[in-house]
Amino acid sequence: MLELSQQAIFSGLLVGSVYALVALGIALTFGAMKIINLAHGELVLLAAYMAYFIESRTGWNPYAAIPLAFAVTGVVSVAVYLLIDRIREHRELNSLILTFAIGIVLTNAILLIFASDVRSTGSPFLQDAISFHTVYAMKSELTAFFLSLAVMAALWWWLKASWYGRAVRAVSSNRDAAMLMGVDPRRVELAAFLVAGVLASVAGVALFTMSVVQPALGPALTVKAFIVTVLAGVGSIPGVFCAALLLGVTEAMTVTLASSALQELVGMVLFLLVLFFMPNGLFGARARRG
Amino acid sequence: MRTLSVPALPALLLAVAAFAVPLVFGANAYIMGLFVSGLIVSGVALAWALLGNLGGMVSFGHAAFFGVGAYASALLSARSGLPVPLSLLAGGAVAALFSLAMLPALRLSGPYFALAILAYAHIFKILATEASWLTGGSAGLARFPTLPTIAGIDFSSRLGSYWLLVAMVAACAAIYLAVKRSHVGTALRAMAESEDATRVVGVNATLLKSWMLLLSAFITGVFGAMNAHIINFLEPDYAFSGSWSVLPIIAAIFGGYRTILGPVAGAVLIYLFDQLVAKALLPVGHQILLGVLLAGMILIAPNGLFGLFGGKRKRAAHAAA
Amino acid sequence: MIRRSFLAVSLCAALTLAASAKAEEIQVGSHMPLTGSLARSGQSFREGMLVAVKLFNESQSRHQIKVSLIDDESQPAKAVGAVEKLVSDGAVAILGGYGSNIVGPASDTSNRLGKVYITAGAVSEELVRRGSKNFFRINNNAGYQRGFEGMVEELKAAGVSIIASTREAPMLLAKGLEESLAKKGVKVTLHAFDPAITDFKPIVNKIKLQDKPDLIFMSAYENDYVGIIRAAKVLKPPVKLIAGAWSLAIPKMYQDFPDLMQNVVGTTPLPYPVDVKDEEGKRFVAGFKAMFNKDIDYAATLSFVKTMVLCEALARAADAGTLKSGGLADEVRKTSRSSPLGPIVFDAVGDNPNFTLSMGQHQDGKIVLVSPAEQSTGKIAYPGLPW
Repeated sequence: MLELSQQAIFSGLLVGSVYALVALGIALTFGAMKIINLAHGELVLLAAYMAYFIESRTGWNPYAAIPLAFAVTGVVSVAVYLLIDRIREHRELNSLILTFAIGIVLTNAILLIFASDVRSTGSPFLQDAISFHTVYAMKSELTAFFLSLAVMAALWWWLKASWYGRAVRAVSSNRDAAMLMGVDPRRVELAAFLVAGVLASVAGVALFTMSVVQPALGPALTVKAFIVTVLAGVGSIPGVFCAALLLGVTEAMTVTLASSALQELVGMVLFLLVLFFMPNGLFGARARRG
Repeated sequence: MRTLSVPALPALLLAVAAFAVPLVFGANAYIMGLFVSGLIVSGVALAWALLGNLGGMVSFGHAAFFGVGAYASALLSARSGLPVPLSLLAGGAVAALFSLAMLPALRLSGPYFALAILAYAHIFKILATEASWLTGGSAGLARFPTLPTIAGIDFSSRLGSYWLLVAMVAACAAIYLAVKRSHVGTALRAMAESEDATRVVGVNATLLKSWMLLLSAFITGVFGAMNAHIINFLEPDYAFSGSWSVLPIIAAIFGGYRTILGPVAGAVLIYLFDQLVAKALLPVGHQILLGVLLAGMILIAPNGLFGLFGGKRKRAAHAAA
Repeated sequence: MIRRSFLAVSLCAALTLAASAKAEEIQVGSHMPLTGSLARSGQSFREGMLVAVKLFNESQSRHQIKVSLIDDESQPAKAVGAVEKLVSDGAVAILGGYGSNIVGPASDTSNRLGKVYITAGAVSEELVRRGSKNFFRINNNAGYQRGFEGMVEELKAAGVSIIASTREAPMLLAKGLEESLAKKGVKVTLHAFDPAITDFKPIVNKIKLQDKPDLIFMSAYENDYVGIIRAAKVLKPPVKLIAGAWSLAIPKMYQDFPDLMQNVVGTTPLPYPVDVKDEEGKRFVAGFKAMFNKDIDYAATLSFVKTMVLCEALARAADAGTLKSGGLADEVRKTSRSSPLGPIVFDAVGDNPNFTLSMGQHQDGKIVLVSPAEQSTGKIAYPGLPW
């Protein structure tokens, strides 16, 4: 039992780190603009398919695809922002439906271009097993874990230290005040979406190396990321990371202690409980009740 | 005093169209089948729009009610021998009962509510899969009664189902209209303007919203039950399929979710467009056109086709008030 | 030059048409998922059916079968509409589609309209429990079950762990196996998983540390197979063989994931490279190659057999003059023939009680039949693992 739990916790942490990579993008744009980008899962998927494209064409390591993936997700992410920016009334809800529609378009575009076959990395190095005492992982999972840590640190630094990052935080805490201080909120929001594109590109490539992708995966990624965002609460980058790891571990422990058929159920129930009873999330600061 | 919220002319046109369809396409079982499926979506779109327009809540998980209604009606008619007309209503009632579990979500603001309902839809689907002693699990249910023949009319035939659905959609539209015009509707509209202000006047916002959620769930459940008895096979993946949440949204936005007729007409139009036009253009991935349409409507005409229709009149009414 | 030969070809075609016009033309309807989630199987079904109709029409001259096909988009409502349209257009029987949730309502409609419905892609027990007189199917869950059970017996495996998706067909197979293997004294553990799961390590680790079986059996789909085998490659549970159900022992899986598939076993009717022994199978392979310029696959074979069975019954009923008076169902029920899938007969509810599949093992890009012993084309690598 102990050995089982050790492995479950370890696996859960590794999976959670990829949830974190996917969720950071949603959390960033949500924090900055109060807008949930329901097409974010599809952005991640798009990046994963870029990794597939590069690997299957050139045989290079999929991580070499990050620049190309970013070029694509960056452009799409900015396009999403420019479309959202055209919404005049009921911005919160209409943007939700708009990004949902964009998600449908992207899912089907991926289906048209890449067909419905399942794809994953063929790199023997990344698929190789690695073990620490009694726990095992694929090298790709460890790579993704450390990458996730590095990306999180970089994002944290960006928000803390750079002008744009501080502007994002200023706009997210008080848009009007930020405007009075001479910050153009649209430029800042655009920057947030661009950075979300970067995050999506890394997340997508990581996903491709450690798991199987197919065109219909997008909405599931978005939902998982949103669960993490809710668990974390708004406005905390380390919070997102911790919440993602928590979700990953909870899922893995559900499989180990109960049944693997209940894994998704537990995630959803956890989501609702936190939503209802801890409106600030587990690590967040602000309320979200209407 | 004529403050009709249903524009009389479009309503008349729709009624004429409803009668014209069987005359023109009655012999073509395939086209009639498309209309029947389109009308099912109409009913759900109406329920979705009711919640959105009166309750001010956008839901991404109406599949939850649709599936619950379908399973409840199928099981009640098969296991306890309830006649199908009653089991349809029972399906709606059970869906409304299940929506009670969502009451805590009413306190959440817009996007959170939308996604909380989505979580419920997922949860119900997993429960339907796991409770195989009751639902047959993922193997599904096949042996339950079809729509009956009453007074010589075979409602399980395409034409019979069509007329039944037309009547049901009309009845639901009438209920919607009645609610909208009642005191409840007035209070809800005031609430949409400013929830705090209405609270001061003594309107219990959460209670009113709860009633809207229950009503919306009931209507969706009834149409889910109808669909189950028409298709005559149920499995969790199908009964709780995301498309029962997505198509009504597209239909209602397209038609105009602040109107009553918009979602009804929008659903049939969208369904026919998807099946007859989009599918012919793009055999694989034809939903991309629906996505483009939805995005375009939100950006260009967020009030939908019927919203464009009634827009001027409404503004005039506001000015008069 | 080109134009002239084109002319000659069309002339030939016109003559053949004129010749066949003398024969009695029988209209058959078909709905298959050419698009949507089941499209890949649907396309193979279509190909197998077309080859069968062509071969049948060429094999005799008294009857000509004509099929009209409608895409049901993998959706039950569309399939029901398709059946209604086909019957109203004059089809005397329906060649059914894929997936129990689609075949169920479609065959109900067909039964209501009094038409025979035959399928090779719906394994749910519910379908035959309805007791419809007009419903027939070539394959069933029990056949997949027997295929794997037979191998477990031959290998004298003491323990089996089943990893199964909670979707319809995989769960049905898993539950059936759990019961029947337990009866035979094999230690069975079932691990059901939600289709949304991607990390299988916690499940495989349970198998490694708790179950300690000889065999792992996967009842799932392609993406799950990849995830499970990867997790197994990482954790290396001390098992002797990894096996699975449909869509696993197919050449495409080896092409896409060569380092995962070596030694993995799955249900399959045929080895690869394709090697058929019976006459009909050979004609099918040649006809398929001529029409589509590729090798036959499993789904196409299923569809070929069901179409052939129906065509022959149609011809018999037409000869007996009972086609119009509802004699077709009886003629289908009289079917007793061999086929590339083994013997075909139907019981009172239209099931084919003899259906059994072989098990094939991926061996260096080939698929070798390893069980049952009398069908095998090579020796099983046992213990044999992808790592």
